[in-house]
Amino acid sequence: MMEGRCAAEPWAELGLSVKPGAPLVRRGAGTDVFICTGSEEVYVFSAQEKRVRAVLQLPAPVRDLDVSHDKQLLFVACRSGIYRVNFQLLSHSGSSDAGSGPAELKISSDFLAVAADGVSSLLLVDSVLLTLCQTDRSWLLTLYKTPQQSQANRCDVIGSFSLPVVSPSVQGHTESKCVLLCVCLGEVTQPSSPAAASDAGLSRCHLPLRPALFKLLFGVEAALAKSPVILCGLPDGRLCYLPLRLPGSRLRVLQSLEQPVVFIGASAAMETDAGCAGCLVALGKQGRVMLIKAGRAGSERQRGIADFTEGCVPGPVECACVDKSRLYYSTGSDLLTLGLSVGSTGREGQEWAEEASGSTAASLNRPTSLNVSGVVALDQPTCNDAGEVQLLSLSARGRLQRISLPVRGPEEGSNKLPSSAVGRSVGDLLSAIGDVCERASVLEKVIRWKNQTLKQLNQVLNVSFLLTDGAKTEEKPIRCCASVGWSRLLQKDSLNLACVLQNFSPYILERGWTLSLTVLPLSCSPQAAEEARSVNYSFPFCSLCPGESLEVSLPVAAAGDASFPVTVACSLVFSLCSFLGGEEAATPPDLPGGCFSLPLNTLTVDWLHALRLISPTSTQKTLPPQSSSNPAGDLRAFLSSRRAGCRAGDGAPRPEGYSARVRVSSELLGHTLRGQRADPDPKVSESAPRSFCVSLLEWLLSEECGGVRMGHKGDKTDISSSVICGRAPNDATVKLTAKEVHLEEKSDVKEESLVSVEVQVESSSAAAVCGLHHAVLRRIQTLLLKAPVKAWSSNKVQISGLRQTLQRAEIQQGQISEALSVGMSSGQMQRILLRVYQQLRDGPLLMV
Amino acid sequence: MMSLLAKWTRENNELAFNCKQQNDELNRDHNNLFSHRRCSSDFHKLLRKLQGIPPHSDHAQLELSVVYNACVCLTALSHFEEAELLLTQAAHRVLELAGEDRGTSDPSVLWRAALKSVAGTALHRHVLSLLCLQWGIWLAKSCLNPIKEFQEEMSLLERQGGAVWDDCRTEAKEKIPNIPRLVLDPRRLAELLKICTAIVQGAERLNEGWNTLSALQAAAALPAPRALIAYTHLLSGSCLAHMNRPQMALQCFRRALETDPRCACALYQSTLLYRQLGNVQAEIQALRILHSTLLLPPTTEPAPAAGRLLSPSLFLCSQSLGSLLSVPSALSVLHSLALKCVIHDRVSEGVENYLDLLAALRSEDQHGVTANTLTAHAVVSTLPKLPRLYLEAAAALLMARRPADCMALCDEVIGTILDLLPDKVLLEDPEDGSVAESREEREEAESGLVKLLWAAAAYLLLGHCYAQQEDWKQAVTHYTRCFNLLVKVHCKNNAFSPQVSAPDKESNQGVDLCVLQRLKGISLAGRGISFAQMDRLREALRDLHLGLQALPEGVSAGQWCGEVLWRLDRRREAAACWEKTWSHTCPPLAEALPVYAQELQSGPLLDPTELRSRLKELGPL
Repeated sequence: MMEGRCAAEPWAELGLSVKPGAPLVRRGAGTDVFICTGSEEVYVFSAQEKRVRAVLQLPAPVRDLDVSHDKQLLFVACRSGIYRVNFQLLSHSGSSDAGSGPAELKISSDFLAVAADGVSSLLLVDSVLLTLCQTDRSWLLTLYKTPQQSQANRCDVIGSFSLPVVSPSVQGHTESKCVLLCVCLGEVTQPSSPAAASDAGLSRCHLPLRPALFKLLFGVEAALAKSPVILCGLPDGRLCYLPLRLPGSRLRVLQSLEQPVVFIGASAAMETDAGCAGCLVALGKQGRVMLIKAGRAGSERQRGIADFTEGCVPGPVECACVDKSRLYYSTGSDLLTLGLSVGSTGREGQEWAEEASGSTAASLNRPTSLNVSGVVALDQPTCNDAGEVQLLSLSARGRLQRISLPVRGPEEGSNKLPSSAVGRSVGDLLSAIGDVCERASVLEKVIRWKNQTLKQLNQVLNVSFLLTDGAKTEEKPIRCCASVGWSRLLQKDSLNLACVLQNFSPYILERGWTLSLTVLPLSCSPQAAEEARSVNYSFPFCSLCPGESLEVSLPVAAAGDASFPVTVACSLVFSLCSFLGGEEAATPPDLPGGCFSLPLNTLTVDWLHALRLISPTSTQKTLPPQSSSNPAGDLRAFLSSRRAGCRAGDGAPRPEGYSARVRVSSELLGHTLRGQRADPDPKVSESAPRSFCVSLLEWLLSEECGGVRMGHKGDKTDISSSVICGRAPNDATVKLTAKEVHLEEKSDVKEESLVSVEVQVESSSAAAVCGLHHAVLRRIQTLLLKAPVKAWSSNKVQISGLRQTLQRAEIQQGQISEALSVGMSSGQMQRILLRVYQQLRDGPLLMV
Repeated sequence: MMSLLAKWTRENNELAFNCKQQNDELNRDHNNLFSHRRCSSDFHKLLRKLQGIPPHSDHAQLELSVVYNACVCLTALSHFEEAELLLTQAAHRVLELAGEDRGTSDPSVLWRAALKSVAGTALHRHVLSLLCLQWGIWLAKSCLNPIKEFQEEMSLLERQGGAVWDDCRTEAKEKIPNIPRLVLDPRRLAELLKICTAIVQGAERLNEGWNTLSALQAAAALPAPRALIAYTHLLSGSCLAHMNRPQMALQCFRRALETDPRCACALYQSTLLYRQLGNVQAEIQALRILHSTLLLPPTTEPAPAAGRLLSPSLFLCSQSLGSLLSVPSALSVLHSLALKCVIHDRVSEGVENYLDLLAALRSEDQHGVTANTLTAHAVVSTLPKLPRLYLEAAAALLMARRPADCMALCDEVIGTILDLLPDKVLLEDPEDGSVAESREEREEAESGLVKLLWAAAAYLLLGHCYAQQEDWKQAVTHYTRCFNLLVKVHCKNNAFSPQVSAPDKESNQGVDLCVLQRLKGISLAGRGISFAQMDRLREALRDLHLGLQALPEGVSAGQWCGEVLWRLDRRREAAACWEKTWSHTCPPLAEALPVYAQELQSGPLLDPTELRSRLKELGPL
């Protein structure tokens, strides 16, 4: 051992971590040490053989244990009761298999000495067993008589004392232990023999106290009766005492530490108190130390009053023990020692009294570190022949070690560990700090992420409520609009839809949202019907702030595909999986779990949108400008037109074979169109007839209908005449003509002329005519919806028209029924139906 | 359903069997507690299973039996609240079975309804037995009103119940497995409860000042354990004592003792009565027997059928009964016995008792608590403070002319107290409320005064001892020490002089001051006598005068004052002094004051006849 340093000699590794609660190390008979780690086991460690000799298996976690004075019996307190184990049993079982591992001894209920619930601590005083337990309203100190003959296990109750619990909130942790200690009146006259001093077992249970202190604290009666006094420290901080053999004695409170009492001990405070302790020490969990001494005989005023000195040492205190002059305690991370003697030289009388009345903390020395970490349990210190103080300790990791303290020289506190050990412990500490730091940051991150997620989910919920709110269906704050445009890619023309998702809501669309667009042709050619008719496009996006918009583009149709009009159903799909799991969990959106879809608006792309304009002059001669640079395209257009012509059955292609007309009253138009172009010069309105036609065509081609705008804005300026030529998506050439028509209406009252505009659709392709007609009608329908309700005067004008139409309709009905009658060939039937259809489209009613 | 019923019945029967067996095996207190706890939890578990299904007539019998068993166990554990809850629940379920549960909360209405609903069916006796338990719980909680209400049902229960249960028993013998067993025969329970009710009611009425003799005498004829019968006799005796018929009361107490020799409370009541009658010898005798009774080891009482599970003490916890049954601890009894002996001229006996008492206090078996065997009533401790006890013992030893032993005791007291003595005790006038003084200060002063008086008394006794040994010098020293201690007491108010000759019982301080004054007088007188023996007559006369001033009725001081005057040849004064002394009658020792504060006549005595003859010689004044 190095000079001036304390040495820790490891005795055993129990190899298990010690549970907080009641770790214990206690010397028993001979060289046996009882170790309890807070679990169900009690280890019997032989200090001689340096090995665990036996293991006692108890039915419940061990709370406390004590050894009888004759070192024959071990009493162990569990939750269910107190068990009594005879040492002879241990020695037998130990010797039988000395070579092998520790003997295991199962302690069954046969060993039960006292059946009591919740015993917190126990203490043996002669033949009396004391237990302390907490009931819901009081602390109960119960006395049992242990039977003299070793056969019987059961103990009889002698009596019990109770002390009311102060307030349930104060003590908080019920797990913390109570401390029990027995002190007795010391004999002053008789000088202590060295044999008595070394008897550790006796001193533990009958700690002799200086008579003056004893009488001051516990009264004359206890002193006269020579009664042992039980001191108990409660987790609520109270220090209580009970004179054991005094008739009518009660459990009384001596003092309160105001923090859980961890330790009570007695120490010789002065050099003169060789045999008996002149100072009681109580130590609280948070490091409050209380030294209780008798007032000095020298100072008259102090006489008759016990002197309570309080102080604080750095806590938290795990365990402690005391020898003649020093208090040793462990904070878990370090073992410290505190000198208790109030300087044997110098401070006397006056000075001492001043100090006692003045700063009490100053009279406590400062603790010095012994640099032993992890100690959770200590046994009473012993002193070997060389004068070294030896402590038996149990560390938090289950290591039993003997700590030898050097003989105290003149200078104290020079105890150091070897530098390598210091380095190791520093390294351990640093790595532990690193671990904790890392764990903390991970936890912090997780918490932050969760908070973020919650916020986002809140947004999602808001959006969902907004979109599922059935009350206002027409104008959703999140909606799509689109524009179409032809583009050419890989020598193939295709109609692209640029769809813009606009967020007018106050909420952000974030991770997890997907814009889903379903393209569905309203009608389609029979051969296309076999394929999957609807096409789904989904566009996941990351964030869309309020006021922002997202543009995506998708192909609607290729050139030559005539499956117009096409509806584009827009919806927002929220997927919880992609929201939580990020990108990699890209589950199919039709998966029911974790996904829900919120419909937005529906867009319609019709024939007009898909119309490609060509200049009317070049209709016959040149091919459309888009395809002029592409001979292959021309060829295909040519071929397809040929084919279409052949299919029509007639020999030559008829560029304007079919036509349909729509008539709109200029009054209706004027309202809308004037409103539209109110800002430009008023000259337009002067040259009304022509501009009406032009502006109607312009409007037809530019109007944003069904949320879809046409992409050919550049062509708009070309519309100067009332005739527009264009190419339908099925490559058929179409011609749109607008002209002004005056309708004379013969009326009884007055001749009235009504100006109307007629739009004529002509094409060689019947499909194109139908589609365009439908598209034009749709536009005008919206016009009608927008137009204010006018006087019905002009309705009269219609009457004759209506009559004619009615007549015509009758004829047409006749034709249809004829066509559908039996005996007609299918070719004939088709022709008739086509004709009727043509007639229906040709003689339109005026829309007003 | 039937198989389940059979299974449950078997479970109940096994539990009941176990419970009974454990009871037979272990009759010790805490072990019983342990097994009861397990039993009650087991029964409770079974009951929960049973009550999981709505009440059904098929297994109602089983269910009620299990409720009964569980409640018996709970009652044995004194968990009355839980037991009552179970009982109420069971009553509600019985009503539910009959389809007439009106959710009443009044227990008596509830039970009446429950009994009515099962009238005439096999369930009737089960409900009766549950009611019987409820009765016990009411009794234990000292709710006597519902018991009065149900008096008729109770008697009906006993009369009819006996027959029904007999039927049940014969029935049970026929087909044992199908009948749910009970841990305790309800008839035994009813018997036990009846006598307990009679006792508790008797005590209550006695407390209220009613005459309950007839009821108690009727109860004495009931079949019951001896201890309970003894209680009825005891109560009759108390009743008679209240009616001022002490002899008849004593007869009753004697009968109680004949019934149960361990009925310590009867003995105690007798001693009180003897004291009241002034029969000292009988009182001493009774105290002696009482003490030996209390010292008897607690034997297992001859357990009656019901007593094994349910101890009668469970039901006998009413307050007025408690005060009647309370008995002082053995040590207190021994002390009163010793004191009585010493005061009434049986000094040697008293000394023995005192020595026994001290030995008991020193022994390791003494633990400040004395468990009463039968009832858990509070044990009254009338034991004085230990120093006073020591001093009393010392005084007794002195009277028995064992000065050495007396000195040992006194030395011990002095050794213990001496370093705690205050330098000065300042007493406030207790009547003078104007002086604001903190409670603590007053308490401190009082405890200081008490310690001072103890120490002074110890010195006084030491002085007496030396005087007895005729070591006059030592005697003077110790009397002086005593006096020096006594003068440390100062009274703040000069007008308030503690010239109280008779103890003022109202306040402790009054007694203390009286003791102080007496000690002063006695110690001065003792010193005077010692001086006189040393022929230092001047000092002797001074001290004796002062002693007489402090304690005018001091007999030895008066006599010796006369003697010293005589020796100083002041014969006339001596004669006057003697005459004056003889005019006081020598007071016998009293219990109110500590023995050591009275004149023990232990010192050198003067023969009054000789003095009178001297007076005669002197001739008339």
